[in-house]
Amino acid sequence: MIEAVGLTKRYGEKTAVDGINFQVQPGRVTGFLGPNGAGKSTTMRMIVGLDRPTSGSVTLNGKTYAELKAPLHEVGVLLDAKAVHTGRSAYNHLRALAATHGIGRKRVNEVIALTGLEAVARKRVGGFSLGMGQRLGIASALLGDPAILILDEPVNGLDPEGVIWVRTLARHMASEGRTVFLSSHLMSEMAQTADQIIVLGRGRIIADAPVGDIIAQAAGNSVRVRTPDAERFAELLTNKEVSVTKSAPDLLVVNGTSAAHIGEVAAGSRIVLHELTPLAGSLEDAYLALTEDDVEYHAAGFGDQEAAQ
Amino acid sequence: MSTTTPTTNRHAAPEPVVPTPARSSRLTFGGVLKSEFIKLFTLRSTFWCIVIIVVLSVGVGLLLATVQPPARAGIPSAPNPSTLQQQATAVRDATVGTGIGQLVLSVLGVLVIAGEYSTGMIRSTFAAEPRRLPTLFAKAIVLGITTFVVGLITIFGTAAIIFPLLPALHVHPDWSDSKLLLALFGAAAYLAVISLIAFSIGAIIRNTAGGIATAIGLILVVPTILELVAGTTGAVWAENLASFAPTQAGAKVYAYVSSTPATTDGVVSLDAHQGGLVLIAWFVVLFVVAAVLLKRRDA
Repeated sequence: MIEAVGLTKRYGEKTAVDGINFQVQPGRVTGFLGPNGAGKSTTMRMIVGLDRPTSGSVTLNGKTYAELKAPLHEVGVLLDAKAVHTGRSAYNHLRALAATHGIGRKRVNEVIALTGLEAVARKRVGGFSLGMGQRLGIASALLGDPAILILDEPVNGLDPEGVIWVRTLARHMASEGRTVFLSSHLMSEMAQTADQIIVLGRGRIIADAPVGDIIAQAAGNSVRVRTPDAERFAELLTNKEVSVTKSAPDLLVVNGTSAAHIGEVAAGSRIVLHELTPLAGSLEDAYLALTEDDVEYHAAGFGDQEAAQ
Repeated sequence: MSTTTPTTNRHAAPEPVVPTPARSSRLTFGGVLKSEFIKLFTLRSTFWCIVIIVVLSVGVGLLLATVQPPARAGIPSAPNPSTLQQQATAVRDATVGTGIGQLVLSVLGVLVIAGEYSTGMIRSTFAAEPRRLPTLFAKAIVLGITTFVVGLITIFGTAAIIFPLLPALHVHPDWSDSKLLLALFGAAAYLAVISLIAFSIGAIIRNTAGGIATAIGLILVVPTILELVAGTTGAVWAENLASFAPTQAGAKVYAYVSSTPATTDGVVSLDAHQGGLVLIAWFVVLFVVAAVLLKRRDA
């Protein structure tokens, strides 16, 4: 289990991580989600002792990272694909890391096979593609067959097949009772991999809940209604709880009531409906809704955001 | 990516983790030493540094040994130089490679640590060995031993190649002279300590280019400037300061004769032991600073 208590990191004036508390439980995949610059990587670096917290603490099964007797066996970590000397081959990189713990060449060859690096293992890492570098980073993380797996943006640069492989790996590791903690800025990725999601925005935790809850929260209850009589129908539906937005001359988006109720109102008032669609909330919407106010770097909009619907 | 993806990995998803027998092992200092040894000898830069220092040392030694006496300043030009002069000349020719060797090994020393910062490797290193100081010690030990051995091979190799040529210059080196052997050992030790000083600078600066520039600056530029000041103004303080620079102090360690009086006209002159101590003090101070910073800074 990973446990953070009041974990804070400041760089001068800027607070990257602002007194966060969370627990990452074994036996399931916990996603760590947030926009770029939210503080995910900083948090992960503090977990493995690379950055010193300004205040607060983070422990792994009750110990700080530096107190671990065999860090590679207890925690496998992928921080970023560039944590490798470019002049060394993948095989020698892994062999050097393995040597610190007396891990044999057999295991080195095993993780090379596991991550599909056999063909390039003897080549210098400097020439690796982003995806290959990522695989090598995952191979390093798996080297000690760790009880806790921490992966920062593991699917970055991987091809679709690699993405599926990482997803399966994470699920499999969790099913063996290990603690799996993955970060991503892609909600869709998390939706398919994680059981629990911690959402971080501007250094604070915005949400920490099971995936299902987060989706339900975001589902709102929007219903899309297409009718030639949009004007009149909008008036009929609107009340204290129900709001209606007209997004095209014949298209309404209704919030605050169910599709069934809308259908009944239409039948009662003899209004013709061409479409009546409940809009399922996606994790992506949930994420955007959650982090709306917490995005560090906003891109300038392209006209309006209508295309999003 | 798709072109380089090995076919063995196609949809190989379901059985990712094979439980391993690796569990019994744990982090040890011996393991960290072994890791650092592997790291040093799996980089091309190490190989090239060693090749360059050996080739240049032997090459320059040969050049000196074949040049006729009048062309060389300080060589005993009398037909029958004293034994002392002969031995001193032999040592000077055998250790002439230290001039270039110290630069090459400084670069190696900086690369050993700063190269990890420049590439990001240091994060993998500290993820495997999070207490950090064992890594610093292991790197220093591996580097120190390697550069000392390379120094021995270089210096004694140069001596073995050029000593047979020296009699033509009326110099007859005597291998049985312990002072000669000590000076040659001293040269190897000097090279090792210089590379360790550069290593400490690399650990403090954490940037390959900056580290190399600083190390070379300390070795080449500082003494040159001080001597320039001393030479043009006759300032005794500059001359004294210069004799405490790593290169000047270290040169006493591998000089054949250094029984000069301690001070003349206020100018300090170190003997071999004092020179060695000054050199080691440089290393110790810089290494302690590096260790404190390593513990304190974010990696």
